[in-house]
Amino acid sequence: MDFDFSPEEQKFADEVEQWLTENHDPVVMDPTRENFTQLADTPERRDFMKKLAKQGWLGMSWPKEYGGQEIEGVYEFILNEALSRHAAPQIGKGVGIIGKTLIRHGSDFLKAEFLPKILSAEVEFAVGYSEPEAGSDAANMQLKADKVDGGWNLNGQKMWTTSAHFADWYWVGARTDPDKPKHDGLSLFLIPMDHAGLEIQSLPTIGKDTTNQVFFTDVFVPDEYLVGKRGQGFQMIAEALDLERFTMFTLSPISERTRVLVDWAKTATRDDKPIRENPDTRRLIANIVTDTAVAKALSTRFVCAAKAGGKPPSIQSSQYKLFTTTLSQRVCDEALDITGAAGTIREGQDEAPIRGRFEGAYRATMNETVGGGSSEIQKNIIARRHLGLPKNF
Amino acid sequence: MDLELSEEQQMIKDMTRALLGEHCPIEVVREMEDDPKGYPAGLWKQMAEAGLVGVLIPESHGGGGLGLLEAALVYEELGRAMAPTPHFVSAVLSAGMLLEAGSEAQQEAWLPKIVAGDAILTPAWLEPDRGFGPEGVALAAKREGDEYLLSGVKRHVNYASSAERLIVLARSDDGVELLLVDPSGDGVELKQIRSQSGEAHYRVELRDVRVPVSARIGAAGSGWETFAKVLQDGLVLQAAQAIGGADRCLENTVEYAKVRKQFDKPLGAFQALAHYMADASTQIEGGRVLVHEAAWNGALGRSTARFAPMAKLFACNTYQDVTRVCAQIWGGVAFTIEYDTQMYFRRAKEMQLSWWDTPYLEELVAADVLDQ
Repeated sequence: MDFDFSPEEQKFADEVEQWLTENHDPVVMDPTRENFTQLADTPERRDFMKKLAKQGWLGMSWPKEYGGQEIEGVYEFILNEALSRHAAPQIGKGVGIIGKTLIRHGSDFLKAEFLPKILSAEVEFAVGYSEPEAGSDAANMQLKADKVDGGWNLNGQKMWTTSAHFADWYWVGARTDPDKPKHDGLSLFLIPMDHAGLEIQSLPTIGKDTTNQVFFTDVFVPDEYLVGKRGQGFQMIAEALDLERFTMFTLSPISERTRVLVDWAKTATRDDKPIRENPDTRRLIANIVTDTAVAKALSTRFVCAAKAGGKPPSIQSSQYKLFTTTLSQRVCDEALDITGAAGTIREGQDEAPIRGRFEGAYRATMNETVGGGSSEIQKNIIARRHLGLPKNF
Repeated sequence: MDLELSEEQQMIKDMTRALLGEHCPIEVVREMEDDPKGYPAGLWKQMAEAGLVGVLIPESHGGGGLGLLEAALVYEELGRAMAPTPHFVSAVLSAGMLLEAGSEAQQEAWLPKIVAGDAILTPAWLEPDRGFGPEGVALAAKREGDEYLLSGVKRHVNYASSAERLIVLARSDDGVELLLVDPSGDGVELKQIRSQSGEAHYRVELRDVRVPVSARIGAAGSGWETFAKVLQDGLVLQAAQAIGGADRCLENTVEYAKVRKQFDKPLGAFQALAHYMADASTQIEGGRVLVHEAAWNGALGRSTARFAPMAKLFACNTYQDVTRVCAQIWGGVAFTIEYDTQMYFRRAKEMQLSWWDTPYLEELVAADVLDQ
């Protein structure tokens, strides 16, 4: 048993830390941003991603044959945690969901077209699974893909496509075989985001980020942009989701929130008395600090399961996501309880305590416990796959 | 990073589980509730012979000389089996205090006997209406020449009727002292208290009990420091025990939920109940890794000051939470004596309240992060 990084892993962590310090960019690394959902697209961000690519840090766990280094996922975890700690963008969906699925299931044509561009940070993706009638129940997608000569014709609607407003390509699930059982009738497609038949409408959210709904009107997708085999869409989506949680929900934002709250509570006063002397505050903070240590323990469990190889670590990934996103929300909630009425002052105003960080973060946490598979979906996964409880929901 | 157990660690875990399976089935646990002695002699002998009693005690004193991590694995199994043994008070706390501060003569006199299971020692710490901190120790130790004169009352003294010596925490002019006291000596009166878990607890009254200064463990006034340090590492084991109990209780409940039908389907097919169990398994897993992290740090000689209170706080809260929701899944039978869930439920609460309770641990963690 060893809770420390190996010397090689630690060396890499130090190297990343130094690089991020030397390449600090206040536009890309805004410390007041919440890193679970850093989705702004700016020229600076694209430049930053290219720099990461030049370092060889995109796709490190990919096979050498596709330009990767075939090193363990723990290096991507180290990199992602450091990026998140520095409030920088994450390595993203291209490396994780799309790249890894193409490597496992994509045709030679798709691999040749996309994998080099992902590694050189030349392409941004949006992921389209959710629909008005298919949120957590991804197998219930209804976006129609009719077979036509030389390809597919797509009609319908997607919801909650967070990066649709700046992505270059759309990774979309659609129903190709309506007569088959719902899990077997889905396929995955790649579509250029500026395709004429796509209409993107933004949906402002309670947090800082915008999400989008996307309407499809006779969107033609050539056969070669079908990913994997027809009808295998759902299996690929499920597999990729297990891989995705690894890169989507880093621990650093929670550790940072806890650290910021503790630092603030050390010196803040109310009625001229230090708030740290308040027994309720002490109690809340003791439990937040303890639960943050548990979140870290679960992340270690998750990374070690991933290192052990073989199957994607879906149980550990679900336990980690369930626990940490719930905790993240609680940290913000209790931080606001501790700040009191001043906690309602919106982020950015001078009088907001802790620059309104917890006010803004509190709003954003609603996305964490719902997005990327809601807490309830994680519980279903744990109940069925880990505890072996009967399937009836 | 690597969370796998070594071959030796896995062997210790498996061996402990097998031994407890044979010598500590649930019937034995039930028999021992409220028993004046409180532990099965056969089990204790087997544990000693297997080297489990002395797991933490150095080889030079006849022990196994293993670390906190191996001990935590043993304790997780003790928790799963709800094994009633004086291991914690004797082989962890008492032996720990002797190792930390005892004289050579004291160590030689007691450690080999503790390891062999031939002698049980137990701390007499808590007092009526007093708290967990050093200020809670009020029992008077009046120095008279080469003797201390002890008067006062202790409560929650585990396995006192089987003990060859009590280690009494008492207050002298110098501070807190640790004094070896013979419970069969003049002026010592034991009275069994029935506790929630049924563990053998005693009220100990000391009336003008004379003990020689040579019965003191460590330098004058250093007793609290020694006790708190040993108990701090001990918290990791209490936490491991709580995780074991929670794990077994959940395991039993999951099996039941797969077969017991209501409204024509298994209980586990109801999402409301399945989600209880998913949450419970997540808490248990998080608690287990935190306990391992605490124990691993301790085994490397790093301080457990931050991890140990967090581990006990989280693990005991988890044990209580898990047994509470398991009871919901079992339904009415959960609160009948015939079924086992109530046994875990009672032990969970008792563990949460014993050896530094939730508020005390929260204060330790809060002080660690807020007051430095």
